[in-house]
Amino acid sequence: MDSEQKASTVGTLNSPNSLASDPELLNDFIVEAREHLTNIELQLLTLDQDPANAEAIHAVFRGFHTIKGMAGFLDLNAIRDVSHEVETILDLARNGQLAINSDVIDAILASKDYLSRALSELDAMLQSGRSPKTESNQALIEIIRGVATGGHEESCEEARPGMPQQESSAVRQEMTGSSAIPEGTTGLAELARGVEAKPGKAVESSKNIDVICSTEAVEASKPADAPAGVARSIKVDTAKLDYLVDMVGEMVIAQSMVRHDPDLATGLRPRLARNLSQLARITDEVQRTAMSMRMIPIGQLFQKTARLVRDLSRKAGKQVDLELSGEETELDRNIVEELADPLMHMVRNAVDHGIETSEERVRAGKPAAAKVALKAAHQAGHILIQITDDGRGLDCEKILRKARDKGLVDADVTLSEQEIFALIFQPGFSTAEKITDVSGRGVGMDVVRKHVQKLRGRIEVHSSIGHGTTFLIKLPLTLAIIDGLVVAVGNQRYIVPIFAVREMLKPSQDAISTIRGREEMALVRGALLPLLRLHRRFGVEPKFSNPWDSLLIVSESNGKQFCLMVDELIGKQEVVIKSLGEAMRNIPGVAGGAILGDGRVGLILDLEGLFGARMQTAASGAQDHA
Amino acid sequence: MEATLAMPVNAPQRADQRAGKYLTFQLGNEEFAIQVLRVREIMGVQEITAVPQTPGYVKGVINLRGKVIPVVDLRLKFGLAEMEYTQRTCIIVVQIQGEADKLLIGVIVDAVSEVLTLQASEIEDTPDFGSGVATPYLLGMAKIKGKVKILLDIDKVLSSQDVSGLGF
Repeated sequence: MDSEQKASTVGTLNSPNSLASDPELLNDFIVEAREHLTNIELQLLTLDQDPANAEAIHAVFRGFHTIKGMAGFLDLNAIRDVSHEVETILDLARNGQLAINSDVIDAILASKDYLSRALSELDAMLQSGRSPKTESNQALIEIIRGVATGGHEESCEEARPGMPQQESSAVRQEMTGSSAIPEGTTGLAELARGVEAKPGKAVESSKNIDVICSTEAVEASKPADAPAGVARSIKVDTAKLDYLVDMVGEMVIAQSMVRHDPDLATGLRPRLARNLSQLARITDEVQRTAMSMRMIPIGQLFQKTARLVRDLSRKAGKQVDLELSGEETELDRNIVEELADPLMHMVRNAVDHGIETSEERVRAGKPAAAKVALKAAHQAGHILIQITDDGRGLDCEKILRKARDKGLVDADVTLSEQEIFALIFQPGFSTAEKITDVSGRGVGMDVVRKHVQKLRGRIEVHSSIGHGTTFLIKLPLTLAIIDGLVVAVGNQRYIVPIFAVREMLKPSQDAISTIRGREEMALVRGALLPLLRLHRRFGVEPKFSNPWDSLLIVSESNGKQFCLMVDELIGKQEVVIKSLGEAMRNIPGVAGGAILGDGRVGLILDLEGLFGARMQTAASGAQDHA
Repeated sequence: MEATLAMPVNAPQRADQRAGKYLTFQLGNEEFAIQVLRVREIMGVQEITAVPQTPGYVKGVINLRGKVIPVVDLRLKFGLAEMEYTQRTCIIVVQIQGEADKLLIGVIVDAVSEVLTLQASEIEDTPDFGSGVATPYLLGMAKIKGKVKILLDIDKVLSSQDVSGLGF
């Protein structure tokens, strides 16, 4: 029996079963199973905190049970067998025959990961049509069984039925008979096979199938942690949603164009005025609703980090408590997706490098268990995400020394604390091993910052040595619309994103100086800032050629401030960001286009890109001279 | 039935594929033609927003009912002298195959003439101009009432590599 079992557990994903080859069914299975796995992980983390939580055990059990049933139906033996084994331990736990400890949770999490990988493999197979690689699940199954037998030997034997293929009809009889108890050992597929194999018992068995079908349907349609009144929702293709939001944005702009039409402005009758303002209210409402449809709570993302912290801290032998708050804060789905990588990265950094070992902490007079806190909150039309640890903090001196060694900072320059912290975001700085060992942070922080900037956000660091580090990420609520300042250069209109603007000013003539005959500088609040003439960069004929006639926009790039010279400010407008298409995607200094109030296209400026490109040309120019 | 339907599409001769409806337009003294199926719409010249750091023939971007699309001046692209835009100057919006997706591009021409149905027999291969003259974006030539129309492969004319600009 044992060897037979072994043979059957190494399942294959491709089988001659006609159901299994139906791509639509498989796709449905992948989507549904992924939902279950997400929920399973959430519940497992709850169990990790509170091992006696019966509701969580049930929820995890139901998840695996449903996956097993579906996988069996589709002949996905590898998936079915792993789910089956997990189900067995969960069943033991449910009956109080096995205590949930971290070994058990590790085994279940490992199974969850295995299933995730198997689903991805299956998904890839559906996309590409190539035959999937089936990862062996033998080792995993051994681990799970080990956990089960470790808990309670005898009951484990009882609770583990033979594999369906070898099952005697007597056992099947017994099991189908007892299917009212949701023991979870009879999958739909097995029953279905039983029906095929024994036509004589068909009537009797099919009744049981009905029963199980209906309970499974209930279980499958109800997320395990949701209360009875589940929110009714439908699934919509995100591309459609994005298009809707885009078009609503256009509608808002068109509406404002009508409202401000010069023909209407003269002799506006009360009735028309009333109707127009009614239209404005409705478009506003439609826009708000459309935007809210793309909003999802950030909690899902935080939950992923919870898993990461658990794994990392166990591996590193550190005690880490993760505190989450503001999980219900909603933001644009696209932002949540883009935020996943940088957030993971920063949490990993915090646990790996920021936090000391328990002994070090005790020696430093801190509690042995470290604290990592993730907070999200709305603030004045932005989302604020805060990642705080109470670890060793950033060591300014060491960072500065390293930066000087690497030639990033000249030896005679003195930097403020903020400027020094900004150095950790420099590409190349990250690979400096010594820094990561000694002071924490550094691994790929440049990637983190790039991600945040792509989301039109800002990242700040606050740290005090010995007390920990806080990263503050400030993001817009949505990527679709930005608040922009419309500025003019000659007869061209450009949009400057407001989040990038520090201040705007008209300089006096003696505030402008020229260095070495070419580099212009402007004196702003006692600091000399490089001056960048937009008209020169973009080859546009300007209205004013003297900086003191023009408007200077003070912005910041890589922690350094600079001024951008434009002719004048036209106004402030919310604009919908449009891509210029694949042909014009990578123009330095241009982030995209937007339809302005008069129907023309205005280019949205990327101030960082503008200044960055300027630095490059300056550098290459210097090389030419040398 | 299926076989006869599939014939024109799968036919090996190039001439057969080239037959069909064409939109003809003027550029300098020449008449050019592009497949009507590729044309999305024709509009008069409107305000074009210049985009920096693109080749000279890329005039900029326009607002096509809420979509931002690039516009290329075909005169400049073909190395002809630049001309003031007139009442007859048109932007033909064509759909081309980009790297990833289909994309819309506006093409500025001197004037749009007519839509012609060309038979395979009326289309000739591009003559050999001798070595050194590359004609990758010509589909062929058609002689109608004594006048020669040059058939353009618009995908090749506006390959996104060309449109994407130089210098970076």
